[in-house]
Amino acid sequence: MEPILQVKNISKVFPGVKALTDVSADFYPGEVHTLVGENGAGKSTLIKIISGVYTPTEGKVILEGKEMNFTSPGQAIDAGIAVIHQELSIAKDLTVAENIYLGREPKKGRLLDRKKMNQDAQDILDFMKVNMKATQLAGKLNAAQQQMIEIAKVISKNAKVVVMDEPTSSLSESEIDALFEQVHILKKNNVAIIYITHRLKELTEICERVTVLRDGCKVDTMMVKDVTEKQIVASMVGREMGDYYNKHEHTRGKEMLRVENLTRKGVFENVSFTAYAGEIVGFSGLVGAGRTEVMEAIFGATHIDSGKIYLEGKEVQFKSPIDAINAQVGLVTEDRRRTGLLLQKKIKENISLPSLPAHKSSIGFVDTKWETEVAEEYMKKLRIKAPNIDTILSTLSGGNQQKVILSKWLVANSRVLILDEPTRGIDVNARSEFYTLMNDFVESGGCIIMISSEMPEVLGVSDRVVVMRGGKISGELSREEASEQSIMALASFTSDAE
Amino acid sequence: MEKTKKWVSENVVIVTLVVLCILFGIGNPVFFSVKNILNLLSQMCINALMATGLVYVIILGGIDISVGGTAALAGVISAYVGLMFPNMNIFTSIIILVVSALAVGIVVGFLNGFMIAYLNVVPMICTLAMLNITRGLAYVITGGQPVYGLPDAYAFLGASRLIKTEAMPNGIIPAITIFTVIVVALMHILLSKTVFGRHVYAVGSNKSVAHLSGINVKKVTLTGHVICSIMACLAGVCAASKIQNGQPGACDAYEMFAIASAVMGGTSLVGGSGSVGRAMFGVAVIAVIKNGMDLMQISSYWQKVVIGVIILLAVIMDMAQKNKKD
Repeated sequence: MEPILQVKNISKVFPGVKALTDVSADFYPGEVHTLVGENGAGKSTLIKIISGVYTPTEGKVILEGKEMNFTSPGQAIDAGIAVIHQELSIAKDLTVAENIYLGREPKKGRLLDRKKMNQDAQDILDFMKVNMKATQLAGKLNAAQQQMIEIAKVISKNAKVVVMDEPTSSLSESEIDALFEQVHILKKNNVAIIYITHRLKELTEICERVTVLRDGCKVDTMMVKDVTEKQIVASMVGREMGDYYNKHEHTRGKEMLRVENLTRKGVFENVSFTAYAGEIVGFSGLVGAGRTEVMEAIFGATHIDSGKIYLEGKEVQFKSPIDAINAQVGLVTEDRRRTGLLLQKKIKENISLPSLPAHKSSIGFVDTKWETEVAEEYMKKLRIKAPNIDTILSTLSGGNQQKVILSKWLVANSRVLILDEPTRGIDVNARSEFYTLMNDFVESGGCIIMISSEMPEVLGVSDRVVVMRGGKISGELSREEASEQSIMALASFTSDAE
Repeated sequence: MEKTKKWVSENVVIVTLVVLCILFGIGNPVFFSVKNILNLLSQMCINALMATGLVYVIILGGIDISVGGTAALAGVISAYVGLMFPNMNIFTSIIILVVSALAVGIVVGFLNGFMIAYLNVVPMICTLAMLNITRGLAYVITGGQPVYGLPDAYAFLGASRLIKTEAMPNGIIPAITIFTVIVVALMHILLSKTVFGRHVYAVGSNKSVAHLSGINVKKVTLTGHVICSIMACLAGVCAASKIQNGQPGACDAYEMFAIASAVMGGTSLVGGSGSVGRAMFGVAVIAVIKNGMDLMQISSYWQKVVIGVIILLAVIMDMAQKNKKD
């Protein structure tokens, strides 16, 4: 059998990061070919290259023997490559048929041929054997039904290659079964399917081939029938770790933050854990496991439905971040450009922001002398590389921006620091420096809760690892117990775990 | 050369002001007469007060186009209150004007701010509706007629001039100018020196960051709108005092002048940056253009067109700078 789509020696370099290195893979018609790997392994970069969102730095994409040079997603679609994204792109106020034919509406002369459009759409829906009307409003349908619209769209385009990015992440068991039926229909029609999932048990159900990616490189391509789930997990993880985490032995102090049965319906459920002074608690799990949501709720940025939070043994209620900040809790968010920094403002203005009310004069003036002193002090202490404290944040590198955020919470006298993906997009040296700063903080009696999706970081930095899966805590591992395998087993939806 | 270029690009409004003054001065020597300059200083006060308030809401990332109507409402209400005190003196007249302005400003500003901050109504639409409501109310309570018969003391703030000399028996410095300078200076300090001012900038720069840094975003937004409405009302009572009667149609379309002044003075329409002090240069540019065109006897209809074009140019420049930054 000839492959319909081939990627050959693909590399992709972004400024400062090499996302893919020399990846090759063949995709065959009538087969489901799954890409697996940890967060950041390069799966999405690869499908973005296949679907024309990115152009590769090196290498070729070959469709039916011809080399493709996509410069936009539109060209990939025209060539017969369709993508079903994790986030559904449904126009809620349009009908099912209008969604299926969006941008390619059948016309009679210059006018829309609504009758033909509805008829064609209904034919596809009937072919898929789904119980939906082409004239229904898409917004009235549930997530699974909306996904059927996406599949109908793919069928109507006569796509040769279909990319499905974690299509089951928001579906229930029975809805997943319905989706798999459609996947089988696509297979029968000789469509090549590129499938991305974190749920390894799905592999045996629908998938023929699996390619494992790690750190932007291809580890192996295997036939699913020849391997076990354990072998796949083993090849997803397992790599050497340097000692650039500067790991110290910490001594656990008193209890700082205790969370009991924290619940927000549909997001996270019965989350309980304790964090002590003098330790770094790592929160591991896959993207979407609910870690960020839990931390935002603890910080008072979003509400909780039930559950209790204790700080040093006393129950607290953080109705908004103001309460959390006053109780000396700080949150470093995962997206520093969007939720961490005032990018067009000066370093000193960013550092002082949460602490301004505590340092104002009796008539409300900003204490600019204090502000200057404290900004200069922390710029020196954390070695922030910038011309001066008046430098605008957007001109700094990611690592220095992150140091400004850390300064901001240190100036606010935080005792509990929640760090969400603290080293994302930061180069190796800056990371190493940042880990040292984290160690200094806990050694001076602080407590750090660190969310990280990078396995080596979690293992290298944490004194203890809490793992979340699907909005629940699936386990807690001591430093000795924690390994890539033990964390992966708790984090992913393997059949062993369920 | 590089430096000069940079200075010019950052201070277009000052360059524009100087160029305009020179052009109008050449066009008509009357422009630089003491009398005309004092006129100018008094003419720009009402817009200065209004623009100051707009700087706050524009930095917050919003807008208030209700200021013209709000000003008129405050003007007629201060006139009715004035009628109740026929024996007022200069001192009580100022109290009457300021208290009327505060009362109307707090109510209107609170409504605007509450709807924008707590009900998430789009500022443009919310304040457009409020423009209709306030303007309509001004007509309703006056029955469409100006409120006449106010004592002379009522006109002190808006129309009188201090320091009388033999050459200028009517006085030199307009009282309204002194009042405006004091109020605008206070508002400039509030924005640039206080913690509240910092919070205004933070909210306008990035609401999520502000929220996560412990700032009560809704409260700051609400307060900003109250400030804007109070400033509009102060402008409105000054306008009423100036003509010694309450006109329901006063300050018509003044929101455009105020927005234009703020934007020309470097207040970014996407929020987060700007200053009251710099906005005053924008106020001066608008005043000079109007005054210059009056001296050149250009019809007020054409003046509308010119002001509209200037606003567009200012906004395009603001966006061009933004695009360059990104």
